Amino acid sequence: MNDSATLSVNPAPPARERWALPVWHTLRGRLIISVALVHVVLMGLFTWEAVDRQSQELRQEMVNQGRSLASLMVVASTNALLAEDLASLAEVTRRVAEREDVAYGEIVDVRGFVMASTREGRVGRPAGPVIESSELFPLAESDSVLDLREAVLIGDTEVGFVLLGLSTGNLERALAATRNRGIQYILLALVIGSVAAWLLSVTVTRNLHELTLAAKQIGDGDLGARVRVRSQDEAGTLALGFNLMAASLQRNSREIEREHRKRTEAERLACVGEMAASIAHEIRNPMVALINSAKLLGDPKLEAEDHAEVAHIVETESSRLQRILDDFLTFSRLPTARIVSADLEPLVTETIGLVRQDPRYAGRIAFECRYAENNRCRFDPDLIRQVLINLFLNAMQAMPAGGRLMIRLQRGERRMGVSIVDNGSGIPERIMSQISRPFFTGRKDGTGLGLSVVQRILAQHGTALSITSQEGAGTEVSFDLELESDG
Amino acid sequence: MRRACIRAVLLWLSWVTAAAAVQESGHLRFGVLPLQSPTKLAGMFLPLSGYLGEALGRPVQFVTSSSFSSFMEKVAHRQYDIIYLNPMLYGRSRPYGYRVIAKVASEPFTGILVVRRDGRLRSLGAENLPADLRIGFPDPGAFAATVMVRKYLQSLGIDVERQMQMQYFGSQDSAILALYNGLVDVTGTWRPSLRSMPPLIRDQLEIIAETPPQPQMPIAVRDDLPPQQIERLRQALVGLAAAPGGQSIIRQLGFKRGFEAASDDEYLEVSE
Repeated sequence: MNDSATLSVNPAPPARERWALPVWHTLRGRLIISVALVHVVLMGLFTWEAVDRQSQELRQEMVNQGRSLASLMVVASTNALLAEDLASLAEVTRRVAEREDVAYGEIVDVRGFVMASTREGRVGRPAGPVIESSELFPLAESDSVLDLREAVLIGDTEVGFVLLGLSTGNLERALAATRNRGIQYILLALVIGSVAAWLLSVTVTRNLHELTLAAKQIGDGDLGARVRVRSQDEAGTLALGFNLMAASLQRNSREIEREHRKRTEAERLACVGEMAASIAHEIRNPMVALINSAKLLGDPKLEAEDHAEVAHIVETESSRLQRILDDFLTFSRLPTARIVSADLEPLVTETIGLVRQDPRYAGRIAFECRYAENNRCRFDPDLIRQVLINLFLNAMQAMPAGGRLMIRLQRGERRMGVSIVDNGSGIPERIMSQISRPFFTGRKDGTGLGLSVVQRILAQHGTALSITSQEGAGTEVSFDLELESDG
Repeated sequence: MRRACIRAVLLWLSWVTAAAAVQESGHLRFGVLPLQSPTKLAGMFLPLSGYLGEALGRPVQFVTSSSFSSFMEKVAHRQYDIIYLNPMLYGRSRPYGYRVIAKVASEPFTGILVVRRDGRLRSLGAENLPADLRIGFPDPGAFAATVMVRKYLQSLGIDVERQMQMQYFGSQDSAILALYNGLVDVTGTWRPSLRSMPPLIRDQLEIIAETPPQPQMPIAVRDDLPPQQIERLRQALVGLAAAPGGQSIIRQLGFKRGFEAASDDEYLEVSE
């Protein structure tokens, strides 16, 4: 078990923020995006499949048509080719050229000479390098003509061949049209899907929206907020449950409020009584001394030496009485904090200069300061000076024989940490829970209001004191202040 | 007029094309008189072209023409290296430098007159000839089928032009089919064409007369071919019957024995 005593009020670490589309944070947005995404993916797959299938069918159809046409050319031109009847062959190629998708058509004899062609100036010339067999899809990237070759056969003997080129322009246009239609369908599906998802989300989230508003009202303190139960589905059940919860919360809140009022009243009365008792106790001793001293001073038999001593007692006790009353007034009339942006480092340095002059500890305390690069934060300089004085004096009082006092300013992400560490006697664990109570003091000459004042000031700065101590080793007290905002 | 011009241009183009092709390719062009349809003729002569190509060591291209007249025009322009034609047209090709090297070794070269078995004409005679008799021929230049038959009819005292309705059908096959289909009553043709008909058709037809024989169909070569090639060609033709696969080629041609050597003298007596 750890033998160090700890009293701390630490702010919760800020939640790590992840970036996401703002619309993704809403159920409605997620629903619409999800449905739209599903539509787009499904329609995309469907379109891709349709285009792919149609592409294959169109290509196959083109190949079949081309082969049929080439076969027809062979049939139509066989006799004319054998008879070298150029007029008939020219008629064949002329008819072939009438087709829109024919890029070229040629009839070549067995020697490789063009006997008829759809292209000018080719007849009577060598056909040149020609394909050995018909092309198949897919064609090369730059090839926009499907080249087909059909032999003119008499039995097994080739007496010539037909070359036919079909332009893939129409095919590409048909495929592009299919693709465009597919994209239009995808967009249509996207719109329809989004609208449907929006309508669905409106239905689903209407109750949730009301629940959100009602929850916000409750969060703002209006426990009377309720939602209308519109349906019998899960959202309706949730709304019903919410109303029941809100009603229960309202009842409990009223109960707690009543209890709190009672307890506050009791605590206030107890505190008044305790304070009255404490004040009475604190005042009674000097008062008794003063009363007795006054009686002695009235005694004519009092010798001169004793008279001087009694007069000193009167002076000492009066001063003590005065200090008690001053501390009490400081505690009870603490001014409202006027928080400004300022540099904490000069204030710490100045305060160290003040307490260093205290003759009770002169020369026995070694101060060690560790500052951040930028120590600007938001605080009330007068009140924080009071806090630092009280905490420094507490630490110095814990080191009557001298020691080391370290002041550390650490800049965090949003707040400036202030730590005061001493290597004094430490705080016994048994009194750790009482040290923050007013008028509790472990010293003979203390009033027990120092830490109470510190806590009240820090509460005004939105922070609290954290105390970690180990008896015989030392104590660390710390708090934090809001950093100066960039804006 | 415009069509005639186009035909003339195409014909000229075909001569130019063929002439250029002869110059540029290594093929020998084997021109066959269009006795049958080009496809059928190709079926008959392509094996022979292949055989000759192997024998000569250079490819031989089979070609025919759309008509006898266009064939002879190409002959006149010396577009063929080798020609196969009838004896009469051979006589016309001689002035253009073609010389016979072989002839068909077969039955005598005769023309025949064919009728349908169920037809009205049973015999020929100037006196008993039915009125309005229709006679079909392949082409005016078909020697056996037209020229010899007409001459034979004339010898019988029949004036074809006066006593009959004449019709030309372009090829031997067409003329025979015209008879089979009843378009004519009698057709002039020759035996190889009749033999090449399907049995179904052939069985319906009957030969009623045959002309006196003439020298067989010759194969001639252009006179600018190298003598060695001409000799190799002659030997290949004469030796076809004994060559491996030769009998098959002969059967394809519709011949009985292949080819035999022939001289120019044999054809000097052939008259038109």
